[in-house]
Amino acid sequence: MYDTPKLESETVTDEVKISARGCQVHYGDNHAIKDVDIDIQDKTVTSFIGPSGCGKSTFLRCLNRMNDTIDICRVQGNITLDGQDIYDPRVDPVQLRARVGMVFQKPNPFPKSIYDNVAYGPKIHGMARNKADLDGIVEKSLRRAAIWDEVKDRLGAPGTGLSGGQQQRLCIARAVATEPEVLLMDEPCSALDPIATAQVEELIDELRQDYSVVIVTHSMQQAARVSQKTAFFHLGNLVEYGDTGQIFTNPADTRTESYITGRIG
Amino acid sequence: MPERHIVSSYDRDLESIQATIMKMGGLVEAAILDAATSLEERDEELAERVRRGDKAIDALEEKVNEETVRLLALRQPSAGDLRTVLTVMKISSNLERIGDYAKNMAKRTGVLVQMQPVDGSSGAIRRMAKTVEAMLKDVLDSYIQRDAELATDVRMRDEEVDQMYNALFREFLTFMMEDPRNITACMHLHFIAKNIERMGDHVTAIAEQVIYLVTGTLPEDSRPKANRGAYINPEVTDG
Repeated sequence: MYDTPKLESETVTDEVKISARGCQVHYGDNHAIKDVDIDIQDKTVTSFIGPSGCGKSTFLRCLNRMNDTIDICRVQGNITLDGQDIYDPRVDPVQLRARVGMVFQKPNPFPKSIYDNVAYGPKIHGMARNKADLDGIVEKSLRRAAIWDEVKDRLGAPGTGLSGGQQQRLCIARAVATEPEVLLMDEPCSALDPIATAQVEELIDELRQDYSVVIVTHSMQQAARVSQKTAFFHLGNLVEYGDTGQIFTNPADTRTESYITGRIG
Repeated sequence: MPERHIVSSYDRDLESIQATIMKMGGLVEAAILDAATSLEERDEELAERVRRGDKAIDALEEKVNEETVRLLALRQPSAGDLRTVLTVMKISSNLERIGDYAKNMAKRTGVLVQMQPVDGSSGAIRRMAKTVEAMLKDVLDSYIQRDAELATDVRMRDEEVDQMYNALFREFLTFMMEDPRNITACMHLHFIAKNIERMGDHVTAIAEQVIYLVTGTLPEDSRPKANRGAYINPEVTDG
């Protein structure tokens, strides 16, 4: 008797990890996000797709308060992580970002050793009592990011000396080192070659065992390959949000259809 | 889908596939009518043309397959485009089967013209073939116009064909019981009627594909069927 392998499209849980209600974002006079409501599930990969300037990256950055760093940016509405309002004045954005990690479009390792790149977060959050603890976290994180075997013999070498794909996986290792619950990825593969892209995609699929992963991507095929849920943004609106399989075979909204089939919307 | 793709060669690829399937549909429609006409008019030459013509239909199916595989590999269609490509593949295989049935009718016609005609049957067969051909024409129109309503209508009309088949089945049974010398001809005629009935089923399958193409879901309700007559016991049929 064989077990039927779990379908890539299956979600493990219906538990909501992040919930946004009436989310509005203004950059000065520009109304970038218009009244977005969304429930992002735990242990699920959710992809945000949409044309450039549709607000998908802006909305992603609301989820760990990265927009706080932009002076002219105003965020309104309610965003909760496990039911807790992340814009509550009592929430420390640095602590929040340890729980909601982020990986950016261009790999941006610190100009430090591979080891220090990963160890930095756990150190400042006081997650390790001693050197052995820290070594353990670094190894575990590099293994999780599927890059341990490639760098274990040169942990002291600068992170910037790695190839682009390795740098990106190093950044993922750095993001998972603080044991986040949610991982936000802003076009994590757009600077990578197809092999490195496949490695990162494989990694994303593994990461969803433990995390809620949200990925912004310009590649529709990537969204189709890695995610179980897809949200389509257009002109600051969340146009359609549903199962990835449904969005790519039978989208409900004509704007979604026009966008994913490569037509002028 | 009124809008054009940003990459215009994508539209040209899709249009080329649609043109091929329409050409195939045209040939199959003609094959059905010609096969029925050759039977009614005992025209051996026309029957032979139908038999030879099937090669062209098969070649077009091959072409549709090649073009759809190429489009799937190179363009990774999604949503409506994906449904179009999947639908085209299934429709072409349905059309190819209908073509085969027409060819088989023509083959049997070649045998039947050597025999004594069975009264009245070839007219009924021609009417049945005409009905199926009209259904095929409508279903291809519904495909081009993305008209799920017309496709639903075609799907329902298959019941008529089933009823015509049942009537012929009883008639042939009667002829054979009346005079055993009719058996060979009636067996061939029965297979011809059965072929046309099967063509109707393929047209129905195409109609279901069109409904899927337009709405994204296959029809769930079962369509009316009327082929119970084929299971009657000749011993209790009083003719």
